Amino acid sequence: MHIPDNFLSTPVWASLDAVSVPAVGLMVRRASRELEDTRIPLLGVMGAFVFAAQMINFPVGIGTSGHLVGGALLACTLGAAPAALVMTAIIAIQAFVFQDGGVLALGANVFNMAIAGVLAGYFPYQLWGASRHRKSAIFAGAFLSVVVSASLALGELLISGVKMPRPVILVSLALFMVSALIEGAITVSVVQAIEKLNPGMVQKPEASSGRALAVLSGAALLLGIAGFLLASSAPDGIQNLGIQLGLTSKTSFHAPLADYAAGAFDSAWLRRATAGLAGLLVVYGVCLAAGKMIARRRSA
Amino acid sequence: MHHVLVDQWSHGATALHKRDPRAKILALLVFLIVLATTPANAAVTLTIDSALLLAGILIAGLPMTNLLLRAAAVLPFSLTFGLISWLAGEPLRAIGLVEKSYLSTVAVLLLVGTTPLPVLLGGLESLGAPRLLVLVAQFLYRYLFVISEQAQHFRLAAACRQGPPGKHRRSRFRAAAGALAVLFARSYYRAEGIHRAMMSRAFSGHFRLLSPLRFRAIDGLFAAAVAAFLILVRVQ
Repeated sequence: MHIPDNFLSTPVWASLDAVSVPAVGLMVRRASRELEDTRIPLLGVMGAFVFAAQMINFPVGIGTSGHLVGGALLACTLGAAPAALVMTAIIAIQAFVFQDGGVLALGANVFNMAIAGVLAGYFPYQLWGASRHRKSAIFAGAFLSVVVSASLALGELLISGVKMPRPVILVSLALFMVSALIEGAITVSVVQAIEKLNPGMVQKPEASSGRALAVLSGAALLLGIAGFLLASSAPDGIQNLGIQLGLTSKTSFHAPLADYAAGAFDSAWLRRATAGLAGLLVVYGVCLAAGKMIARRRSA
Repeated sequence: MHHVLVDQWSHGATALHKRDPRAKILALLVFLIVLATTPANAAVTLTIDSALLLAGILIAGLPMTNLLLRAAAVLPFSLTFGLISWLAGEPLRAIGLVEKSYLSTVAVLLLVGTTPLPVLLGGLESLGAPRLLVLVAQFLYRYLFVISEQAQHFRLAAACRQGPPGKHRRSRFRAAAGALAVLFARSYYRAEGIHRAMMSRAFSGHFRLLSPLRFRAIDGLFAAAVAAFLILVRVQ
């Protein structure tokens, strides 16, 4: 689910942009440390592969077909950080070239699908991907990556104040589950088929992949599951939370602000914009510092 | 599969095509942010913003109907949510969702319709996007159509060999998985070939543009004028 522009309220997209920039930076740094130069074209071509894979239909039920989403498949063939990098590039190309997802919402989409989605997809593989139950790890990863990114997107829409009646939310959560199951089945069978062709193309789960990544993956997973549970049990709760935190401006949509907006000089708007910008800089700074700290701890 | 239409549009030579990508990116960002913070009932502001976009399309000589239709790609999603909001008793938000997301899409199309993607990515890199990410995106865009065409051949071949749909779901599922695995392996080997070819041509680690980016005074003027105009319209 690529969120277009103007669906998220300004504080939501802006803070997700501010979170995603350092997160992608961290992934890029990790990826460039792990990768030999030979693999750089590989990442791009694999991104193209994920695009093209959408054309191959998998029959799943009565008259319907699914296709690969790819986050978990990339994670267990390329590793988590390179996979996150490839997904980021895919989402950016989709936003610019195919008008699939917004530009201001790029941070939100990247966070949902490329950061949280890929990390959640890699988590089970890293935990028990080397054991006998490897298949179940791949399945669980693919399942989680879809559920986590979809419920994050849903949560962000709700917290932005997009009203959705409870039945609509429950139906969409059920649909997420179904498509997550399909993604799991597709990913497992494709990984098995790839291993038949060349076992070297699927990475062994890295045991020493570092605590930082594990913590991040766990956090992504928790966030996604929390979003899922909250959205299914108390959608109004999320909306109220959004209103309380000032993330949705209820008034600008309800009260007739016509004369206010047409005032001689809307200094309130400028003041809010400045305050918002300052807040963003703080979020950005904290994320950057955290990223730097993790990187230093790892290299030390 | 033919190259995307937008790519053909982007090779024009109008005043908008000639602007430095960074100036256009900044102008787009200002436009999107101003639009995002405009209330849905500020009809005057929204009309002036739309007029600015239409003027941009005219100046760039892009096919108007075609572009507006392409931007309609966002409508299924936004109309669905618009309908839900409407039913939930927020007609203003519903209208805002639909019209503002449509305007944003037109604005993005105006940028990519006047800037070839390699140049756009070059601009993003010089604005601070990580080099590795930009490199991956360049490769991705370059091979997108190659690999997609391959996938389409696979699809055609499968459609020719398989009987009418609905039967043998299980074996079809496995056949599709096999096709994807072969596509994966071929992409993998192709990437290795690309790397060798690039090494033998002395690839230095980043793409060079045919004409290096130059941010002239007029580009700065363009970005500043668009930004000032939009902000003035918003706060007046």
